[in-house]
Amino acid sequence: MATLTANSIQDARPAGVTQTIKRLFLSDYLILWLCLIYFVALLPFTPGFASLSNLQTILAYLLPLLVVALGLTLVLIIGGIDLSVTSTIALASVIGGKIMSSEAGWLAGSALAVPVGVIAMLLVGVVMGTINGFAVTNCRIPAFIATLTTMMFVSGLAIWFTLSQKIGGLPPGFVMLGQKLWLAATLTGLATAAAHYALSRTLYGRWLYAIGHNPRAALTSGVPVKRVTFIAYVLCGLFAGLASILFTAGLETGNPEMARDNLLDIVGAVVIGGTSLYGGKGRIIGTVFGVLFLALVDNSLNLLGLNFYTVTMVKGGVILAAALLDALRNKLLVSR
Amino acid sequence: MKKTIHRFATVIATTIFITLGLVGCGKSTDTPNANGEKQLTVGVAFETLQTEYWVAGFEAIKAELKKRNINVVEAIADGDANRQLQQVRTFVTRKVDGIVLVPKDSKTCIPAIKAANEANIPIVLFNRPAADAAGVKSSAVVADNRKLSRETVEFMIEQARKTGKKHKAMLIMGDLGDINAIGRKDGFYDAIKGQESVVEVVAEVPSEWNQEKARAGVVNALQANPDISFIFSSSDFLFPSVVAALKSANKYHKLGDSAHVILGGFDGDATAYQMLMDGYLDATGVQDVYFEAEQSVQALLDGLAKKEVPATILDPGFVIHQGNLPEKKARMWGANVGKK
Repeated sequence: MATLTANSIQDARPAGVTQTIKRLFLSDYLILWLCLIYFVALLPFTPGFASLSNLQTILAYLLPLLVVALGLTLVLIIGGIDLSVTSTIALASVIGGKIMSSEAGWLAGSALAVPVGVIAMLLVGVVMGTINGFAVTNCRIPAFIATLTTMMFVSGLAIWFTLSQKIGGLPPGFVMLGQKLWLAATLTGLATAAAHYALSRTLYGRWLYAIGHNPRAALTSGVPVKRVTFIAYVLCGLFAGLASILFTAGLETGNPEMARDNLLDIVGAVVIGGTSLYGGKGRIIGTVFGVLFLALVDNSLNLLGLNFYTVTMVKGGVILAAALLDALRNKLLVSR
Repeated sequence: MKKTIHRFATVIATTIFITLGLVGCGKSTDTPNANGEKQLTVGVAFETLQTEYWVAGFEAIKAELKKRNINVVEAIADGDANRQLQQVRTFVTRKVDGIVLVPKDSKTCIPAIKAANEANIPIVLFNRPAADAAGVKSSAVVADNRKLSRETVEFMIEQARKTGKKHKAMLIMGDLGDINAIGRKDGFYDAIKGQESVVEVVAEVPSEWNQEKARAGVVNALQANPDISFIFSSSDFLFPSVVAALKSANKYHKLGDSAHVILGGFDGDATAYQMLMDGYLDATGVQDVYFEAEQSVQALLDGLAKKEVPATILDPGFVIHQGNLPEKKARMWGANVGKK
């Protein structure tokens, strides 16, 4: 006699279109499906949307945003937030520019300019992450306040450092990191792979989720909550430093206002990708899809040639719809 | 098993997505006109529409293009240099015939100009020039900020001289990353030089083109120097902040009043026009936005026709004050804001 199992009962149900749609809707890849549907739906109306050069434009735009989003994902998973990422990007940008610039940079013309500049930019990120991590774990300042104050301070510091001036004359060896798409994509790919591996394959990643679910329970279970939280902020800062390299190289300019207005876009992309603002939930692949969706929407609205006011409203509406779909999906999953 | 099928389906879907992209099934944007000739399309990319000047410039360019039967595609970067670069690249993808760009600043626009140069699309910068960079070709239509500011402040100094007393002056600066702001600051000091017996500069307010910062700076300066009686603002869009600060210090009086603070600005917006009409503003340097729009479009068309286009086309602008208001106001763009 055949034994009934949960799987055999499920396999016996008729597939049907409704079931397929429901499965897709409840899938962890919902945002990717949304990207595909959006892309295909807009193709007939959007000249050049699927052309190679446009896809390259989309990729070039999303790569630095994705790198920042990776770091922010880690912090959001533990139930924190880092509002200072964009200020970190700006400060790293001007310090790197000041070191490398051929226009009176500290190492102008030197063979060490690029490696020292790159290391310095990453170090700025690490230092900022360390300060944030220390404030949150040792000083027990709420993450929102701690990172808000570092955001304000560092933003002012970047502008003071350059007196609002932009720094040009960056060496070609540095600029290619942002201008050569394959190189920028490789760097981003490596960062994404590292973040994915850390989150999904290591004990550290499991600790992050545990803290995000319930910090007290995690502490009782022997998770080194303080250390894990501290490292999450340091990593977030490091990713911001790396993103600054891509931003700065892409624009060939050290800019004290770099990425200033991107914070909400980045947080929005991470949340659309499935990371919860309350902690305990999120995946790197979800963040990738979220940033991709944001970049697709931005690019398609430009290509459609809509006027500015319409673009901002439509973009807000599309992102809201995506977030609502994801919220509905989570609700259905919980109720199953 | 389900997970495997699902991942498989995802890989297939992603592969289709990438394949579609590589095949490159974009559509043409060519729209023939009544004679069957290809109608030109120009991409207009502005950094911001934050102030009336930019809105007026944007509308003037679109009107000029429409007058010449040229299609327009528009993009506003909202202050984001990275987004602006993406928008220009998008124009290149759309194969526009020309690009009018208001850059975020003179340096971050270089990659955008390079993208246009590589695609052989003529590009003209409106109101803000690019920094010098090797291998980068563009034209810029700009106001002669330094000269026009100097002329405006010289007029203000004449008014100061007529009062027979020495005035303490405040300069409200713009964002010093903006080459226009630097030009206006230099023009101010060009006029002040040698006039120290009439005007003494006691305060410099760095507004960074932000009204709240301007207000805070002016309030602080007035508290530190309550007898300031000469104020030059690097842009008229900061006047609401200046007026609010003067009113709170009880120093906002019309021309002719013994306590009148000599006020001057730059741009020629609707606020400045109303202040001139109401008798509070002494003078402002007006950027001839209609001239700049016309020259920008003409420079693009000349570029398309492979004619030589100068790297810089200067808008001389003009100073408008109480004495020439009736004759000059028609050309003042701020006087026409809101009119059809």
